[in-house]
Amino acid sequence: MASTSISKAERSYIQTSLQGSPPLRADGRSLLDFRTVLLETGVAPLANGSAKLNIGKSPHEGGGGTEVLAAVKLEVEDVEHGEGVDGGRIVCSVLCSPSAYPHLSSNALDELQYDLTTLLHQTLAHPSLHPPNLGILPHKKAWLLSLDAAVLTDAGNVVDALFMAARAALWDTKVPRTRAVQYRARRAAPATGHEGADMDVDPDQDQEARSGFDTRDMVRTAADFELPDYWDEGEVLGGRRNWPVAVTLNIIPPLHFLDATPPEEASTSLRLILAFSFPSNSPSSLQAMRLLGPAELALPQIKSLLADGERHAQELFAALEAKLQDEDVRRNVKARTRFAVR
Amino acid sequence: MVVEILNDGGYRSDGRRQYELRDITIELSQQGTADGSATLNHGLTQVLVSVFGPREAKMRSQTMHDRANINVEVNVLPFSTGERRKRSRADRRILELASTIKATFEPVVQTALYPRSQIDIYVQVLQQDGGLLQACINATTLALAAAGIPLLDFVCAVSGGVHAAAPLLDLTTLEENDLPHATVAVMPRTRRVTLVTLETRLHVDRFAEIFQLACDAGQVIHKEMKRALRERTTALVDALGSGLGRPTGNDMVDRDMIMEET
Repeated sequence: MASTSISKAERSYIQTSLQGSPPLRADGRSLLDFRTVLLETGVAPLANGSAKLNIGKSPHEGGGGTEVLAAVKLEVEDVEHGEGVDGGRIVCSVLCSPSAYPHLSSNALDELQYDLTTLLHQTLAHPSLHPPNLGILPHKKAWLLSLDAAVLTDAGNVVDALFMAARAALWDTKVPRTRAVQYRARRAAPATGHEGADMDVDPDQDQEARSGFDTRDMVRTAADFELPDYWDEGEVLGGRRNWPVAVTLNIIPPLHFLDATPPEEASTSLRLILAFSFPSNSPSSLQAMRLLGPAELALPQIKSLLADGERHAQELFAALEAKLQDEDVRRNVKARTRFAVR
Repeated sequence: MVVEILNDGGYRSDGRRQYELRDITIELSQQGTADGSATLNHGLTQVLVSVFGPREAKMRSQTMHDRANINVEVNVLPFSTGERRKRSRADRRILELASTIKATFEPVVQTALYPRSQIDIYVQVLQQDGGLLQACINATTLALAAAGIPLLDFVCAVSGGVHAAAPLLDLTTLEENDLPHATVAVMPRTRRVTLVTLETRLHVDRFAEIFQLACDAGQVIHKEMKRALRERTTALVDALGSGLGRPTGNDMVDRDMIMEET
């Protein structure tokens, strides 16, 4: 990713400190420590789900750190005539604010944006993670889920921040409930009904005999849908536990470290990005892997790094889960109790 | 369902009175490595402005020999409006907004002090509910002041419209879609106007009313902005003071000694 320019002396200084015993980092962290991560969900009220994440905000003046704002918008798409896909589809995009990369030209910024967009989109739009409740009417209408992540400031480790913010925004997303609607013309009463015993066997008679309250089969034949009035904004996205978390392992052989600041990023020539998904009833799966940088790795090293990466991702996942549950409580339960008290 | 812009009791669709402005929230905390930044809310419209500079220009060809070049870039987030719309950076409306902001601040920033440099103003629109230009200009003033760039005066902007001969101030999206409206930016101390834009049709008499009202409203906004900046500066000064360490009583402190004439 974009790095600050750094002199050879500084680069060597950082590498030597990291390789020393004990390993030293500029802010006193250990190799595997993350900076303080601040997360807030529901920051964009016009979006169906949103989250703001900040890694490494300084507690005193309240500035700095890597800040990412992610939001999910749901739109209805036509499957027959439009670009919709049966069962819904997901599109991700990343926007890099020029204030986050003040030294980059407009073209370089676009390239960085494109790189991050591809990484995020290819990982999150993968069929193995597709949520089951993004369809509305089979073969007719479906939801388009657009995830937009904006990088407002970058103080290192932007990929981890993007994936965490995306996961939080998707966790927070509420899909509006829809009800299939079918309009049937009122049929005139058959004129020969009263005449005799022999009734014409009308092929439509079966349909008439069924009760109007029976809506089981309506979804298949329904032409449109409506949004029923509900007290909440919708139901959560199915399979929301499966969204992956990413860890970036910065590698200075033989060791690796996490959550690099910009000078540290500029001093590492090799980075391994791993995105793991931890579904509740299945073993964890590796959703994405990128090896970046002009150096090389031996295959046994990669294997051990994968194992380490999974452990780090597991811890990150557990911490993020706990925080998201907290946010749920803060926003829903507490709001409800406050409302009840009033 | 018809929403009344201004009902018989004198209340607007969001419960405000005719000349009432929306809630203004100003946050001047530091953003990344920017020299100055401000987040401003006019009701539900939220804008974040970061200022870098004066610094060396990225493109030498844009520099001027006797003053600084002001570069404004506007970024509208796709989820800022009710309907998601991804606007490219070269979208015409956005470029127009950026050039309007630049034209507003050209005469206000003392660019002659920084020849061959560049001042970058990056505007992020986080949420939109009407009054976008007004919010951008107000936030830019605050960010420039927070960055310590010398200005001739504050620039306070407000939007105004007319509904059935009744002038309204600080319009929301609902009102902007229905009413002819103008945005006026004034420099409160000198009472000079640095920007007037009108994109709809407005009767000349109504326009004069709106214009006068907007100038007065600019004074109100100026007060809020000054208060926020004063708070921030006081906090910074206190921090500076406590960092140096207050000398207590009899301690010998290294101070500039005034040499007595011998």
